[in-house]
Amino acid sequence: MEPNYEDLAEEGGALELPAEPMRLNMGPSHPAMHGTIRMVLELDGETVNEVDVQPGYLHRGFEKSCERGTWGQVYPYVDRLNYVSPMLNNVGFSLAVEKLCDIKVPERCQWYRMILGELARISDHLTCNSAGAMELGAFTPFLWCVKVRDWVWDILEQETGARLTHSFGRIGGMAKPPTPYLKDSVRAIIPQVYEVLAETESLLLKNRIFLDRMQGIGKLSKERALALGVTGPVLRSTGVDYDVRKANPYLLYDRVDFDIPIGHDGDNYDRFMVRFEEIRQSLKILEQCVEKMADEGPVNVDDPRVILPEKGDVYSTIEGTIAHFKLVMEGFKPPVGECYSYTEGGNGELGFFIVSDGSGTPYRVRVRPPCFYNLQATREMICGEMIADIVPTFGSINMIGGECDR
Amino acid sequence: MPNFKLDGKELPYEPGDTIIRAAWRAGIEIPHYCWHPGLSIAANCRMCLVEIKSARPMALPILAWDEKKKEYVEATKNKLQPACQQEISENMEVISKGKDVEKAQGAVQEFLLLNHPVDCPICDQAGECKLQDYWLAHQKKLKRKTDEPVHKPKGVRFGPTIVYDAERCVMCTRCVRFCDEVVGDHVLDMRERGNRNEICLSPGRELDHAYTLMTEHVCPVGALTSRDFRFKARVWFLRSAAGVCTGCATGCNSWVDYDPRHDRVYRLRPRDNANVNEFWMCDDGMMSYHRFHEDRILTGRVRRGETVVEVPREEAIAAAGKAIWGKSKLAIVLSAQHSNEDNFVLSKLGAALGASRLYLAAKSAAGWKADAILRDADPNPNRLGATAVAGGNVGSTSALVAAVKAREVDAILSLGWAAEETVGELAALLGVPHVNLSTNIGPLTQSATVVVPVATPAEASGTFVNGKGVPQAFSKAVKAPLGIKSAWETLAEIAEKAGTEITWKKLPEVRAAMPALPTAGATNGAAPAAGA
Repeated sequence: MEPNYEDLAEEGGALELPAEPMRLNMGPSHPAMHGTIRMVLELDGETVNEVDVQPGYLHRGFEKSCERGTWGQVYPYVDRLNYVSPMLNNVGFSLAVEKLCDIKVPERCQWYRMILGELARISDHLTCNSAGAMELGAFTPFLWCVKVRDWVWDILEQETGARLTHSFGRIGGMAKPPTPYLKDSVRAIIPQVYEVLAETESLLLKNRIFLDRMQGIGKLSKERALALGVTGPVLRSTGVDYDVRKANPYLLYDRVDFDIPIGHDGDNYDRFMVRFEEIRQSLKILEQCVEKMADEGPVNVDDPRVILPEKGDVYSTIEGTIAHFKLVMEGFKPPVGECYSYTEGGNGELGFFIVSDGSGTPYRVRVRPPCFYNLQATREMICGEMIADIVPTFGSINMIGGECDR
Repeated sequence: MPNFKLDGKELPYEPGDTIIRAAWRAGIEIPHYCWHPGLSIAANCRMCLVEIKSARPMALPILAWDEKKKEYVEATKNKLQPACQQEISENMEVISKGKDVEKAQGAVQEFLLLNHPVDCPICDQAGECKLQDYWLAHQKKLKRKTDEPVHKPKGVRFGPTIVYDAERCVMCTRCVRFCDEVVGDHVLDMRERGNRNEICLSPGRELDHAYTLMTEHVCPVGALTSRDFRFKARVWFLRSAAGVCTGCATGCNSWVDYDPRHDRVYRLRPRDNANVNEFWMCDDGMMSYHRFHEDRILTGRVRRGETVVEVPREEAIAAAGKAIWGKSKLAIVLSAQHSNEDNFVLSKLGAALGASRLYLAAKSAAGWKADAILRDADPNPNRLGATAVAGGNVGSTSALVAAVKAREVDAILSLGWAAEETVGELAALLGVPHVNLSTNIGPLTQSATVVVPVATPAEASGTFVNGKGVPQAFSKAVKAPLGIKSAWETLAEIAEKAGTEITWKKLPEVRAAMPALPTAGATNGAAPAAGA
């Protein structure tokens, strides 16, 4: 409404600004709204009064797609859930199906899965933290961290053949055994990663601008976090030491020594620090895994109902051909039943609830995507903050559209 | 019925039953190759070996690994018995999943695959092959033999319909026994022994009786393949709908195997029905699916003078309505090739249009050879049903020709392509407006002025009543092409154009309105089987 300047002049010239809150739409196509999230903001000046966070713009029907192919054909889909740490999803889905079928993979495979998973976790946290810093104008940390991420991806590429979407997990094992270079490659990058982490922190943690934008901003209380089902670094930053790797150890996490870093304020700064500390813990796990993993031994379970035969056998023996044929055309058939299996993904508890009707095709694959629950906390974090705080706060949630919207 | 125990479960059996048959009746499969419920017992594949608790142990002890002592110790073991041959006695306890049984099954399976070629990628049986299923279920290991396998003849022509591959054969002799016992034609036999064993033809013979495709059907592996189905489709892409064979009045129950991706039927397989066809079908019946796709009428046809013009379906329906509009001496021709539902709606439409003359067109039995096994003398699947739903009084097509010639008929509404007469004999029908609803080209179609396309029995659900008076329903497999509908739905459209109305919209409504079907054994005033 146009103010009536004539009236104002008569009343002594005091200009009253219109006091109605402003509605502002942010996203879904906005560079800071990672992976197409829409926020409808109600602003009072620059302060956010209310926000409506709307996910769903990246819904691809992943879970429904799983009901078409065989169980093994789900892997390319899970790669694209949290696409910053696909290997953790691969491992999570493998463990879910193996739980349903009561399959126990050989120990060497379990160490291998832990190594690849922790590498993926490092890649996940580095991406989140460095991109968060970049959004606050600090471009150098981003370049440095992405350099480290490339080292990690080099190892993953060497092991799986792909830098990002590996599709490397298999029910009952992995697509290939570890390469002979795995241990040396991992050992080579560990000290360098420690170094880059320290350098990056030195750039940020004494930077007034960075601290002002992070400390005390986007706070979440322990109680609210638990009430909303928040998990992962976001939960731990509020002071709850819940980590699936400790709370319900899977693979061989009970045989490695590592700590769960926790924060106490649940603000952006704590989330940032928890993630960096978790990278250090992952490096610690990696050091132990490469020590403990055997150089020789089977990686896959010895059961042709689950694992594809050797290519040579497929072409030269009838048994191999039959095994290949049955697995490819009909697929591996888990027993009738359902199970929920959960692992610590990059963003928290990554759960798979799977239902089998005994056929070669999943009856239902339901994902508990950690960042869908974490995203629910965004509203409480943002309300009352300034509009500019949305970007670092939302960044520190590490919402990954592929996983959240599925 | 007395009981016996199979793997701890009480099962009933009939005196004289073998273990495998009693289990089969209860829906439990004991792995087997040579046993077939419709054939005699050969007990040569040894896949169905089971342990019988009360049986005599083997005369000599066996060596078993003792985990505590860490050495082999002497142990006794019951001699395993073939479940297909072992008759059940009261309170017998049978173990079909024990350790010894599994070991035997694995060993048999390894033997059967010893010389098997790496053929799955080019074998039609792949996907429904017992060798594949049982290997994964009961062996799961590579064979220990690494020598070159024994090679035997491949791609041997056994006759006009069947090709034999000796390398894939497991020598179960089901095909030999089928020819001997069901057909009574000893055309197949075995020659050589051991690794060189193979199935052969009788000297100077070909596999050319009326049931050759059944040898392929009973073959548990890919040794016998049908030349008709060979390399046409992969079975895991096919879906099955319950059908009834249209070949003759026996009405053999069939599975209509079709590919849902492009709505095409690829083969028929017998659907077991102890009362009608047991486990079998004849070659002509198995091949009858070709009519679903060949010689089809897919568009409307309108005769203009001497020429027949193809017109869109809707145009043909309009022309059909016009042709029978207000005719006082309309003749209705039912079809023994069409379902009860189609014939019933046609007779009702005739009544609504005031037609009093009912005729029944049926396929000619010329060239059709009946036998005492399955093939009925009447090559029409639904003569009884078509007659019954129309109320019983129907004339033959020759009577129709006579009536047209005597100018007692001024229009014809006919169903189906089949008629016992030739096109020349039916020429008189062209003298009046003749609307024909047809799936395929046939004598009745060629003597019509307007032809409207309708769906085949693979494209619509319906009911046939076979020669013994057994009503049998069949269900739709594929979608009819080009918007073609079933005959009764098409009749409803024609009725609208002819100034009347068929009120039924769905098949269950038609079925509810139909008179009770004749029960088995009832004659119901049916015409005698053609050629009888």
